[in-house]
Amino acid sequence: MTIKVLGISGSPRRHGNTETLLDSFLDGAKAAGASVEKVVLKEINYSPCRGCNACHKTGECIVKDDAPGVYDRILAADIVAVASPIYSMGITAQLKGFIDRAQYLWARKFILKTLSFSEDHIRRHKGIFISTAGQNIDHVFDSAFPAITALFHGTGFDYTENIVANNMDFWNGIKNHPTALKNAYERGQQVVRDMKNLNGTS
Amino acid sequence: MPVKVLAFAGSPRRFGNSETLLDWTLASMAEEGDVVVEKVPLTDANISPCRGCNACEKLNKCIQRDGMDTYHDKIIEADCIVLASPIFCMGLASQVKALVDRAQVFRSRKYVLKLPVVPPERKGKRLGIFLATAGQTWPHVFDAAVPSVKCFYHVIEIRDADISYLMVNGVDEKGVIAHHPTAKADAEKLGKSVIAELKNRLSEGTAP
Repeated sequence: MTIKVLGISGSPRRHGNTETLLDSFLDGAKAAGASVEKVVLKEINYSPCRGCNACHKTGECIVKDDAPGVYDRILAADIVAVASPIYSMGITAQLKGFIDRAQYLWARKFILKTLSFSEDHIRRHKGIFISTAGQNIDHVFDSAFPAITALFHGTGFDYTENIVANNMDFWNGIKNHPTALKNAYERGQQVVRDMKNLNGTS
Repeated sequence: MPVKVLAFAGSPRRFGNSETLLDWTLASMAEEGDVVVEKVPLTDANISPCRGCNACEKLNKCIQRDGMDTYHDKIIEADCIVLASPIFCMGLASQVKALVDRAQVFRSRKYVLKLPVVPPERKGKRLGIFLATAGQTWPHVFDAAVPSVKCFYHVIEIRDADISYLMVNGVDEKGVIAHHPTAKADAEKLGKSVIAELKNRLSEGTAP
């Protein structure tokens, strides 16, 4: 079975630092034999969660747009890499808007009890967060992690690592960073190799 | 001059817990004399997310034409800016994050273009209030929202020490905050104390 890797780009800017870092990860995954797809949130049609809680009763979102289809693709993937630049010490409003839409999965899991993930399932599904920040401060990514944790918990993924690069303003872009792109590429290869080992298909 | 309070009700759900907490706070403020309160539900505010184009670093202005054209000016004019958000997925509701991210134009003005966001005499005379509610009972449920809130206030010239917080966890279903043992009293106390402090500061350096 081919390992399926899905990248989700949450930046409003196309082909900027974060999406480039994600692409490097996905290229590495592809080189290691995975099938790779990418969803660019900017290019799809979805609106934020309305907080109506209708899904608490039905397990379905009442908003009919592209978001549930992307969640179907997340649930069908073996490895998901979700990417966002840091804006105002957090993920973008665009990615947060998408993550908040997973409430119907949360409702299935915790209220309706129609969705659950076994420990073995979670072990075989890896979630990775990819991010860049202009700022030089070390803790600039910290407030992004809890929402990413919520996303991966809700979708049955083992959130295993962050591939992040700060100080983009100093480096004048990811392409000038001495190690970030190479590191992301290698991590992409390695995560796929590890998954193959785990599944006994290497 | 009346004290101007501008409040953003950030929940996509109208009249829910975070908006109720906001309403209690605003009502207590309005009870004080000489206070003008404006509440803006973000559901009606037409504020799109930031596009990350960085044009504001050169133009000193956002290239998007939407509700932010109005609220940009109101944010500058207000003496107190209140932000209310529910916690979704351990962070600000994305609607609130969109407002916070659109404050990028103020960041560009302050740090890139090195221009004043408010006149120098108004610095230190602006206060912020962050109100939040969360369904979860974890005490750390608000932690990831606070740094983004601080960014918002910093770039609109409200200092760390001038931000007050009232964050109520364990309130999930619509309306349950009404049964919370302290939330209403805390909100009213906060509203009154912020107005008293503002009147104090605004009268400093002016003739009696």
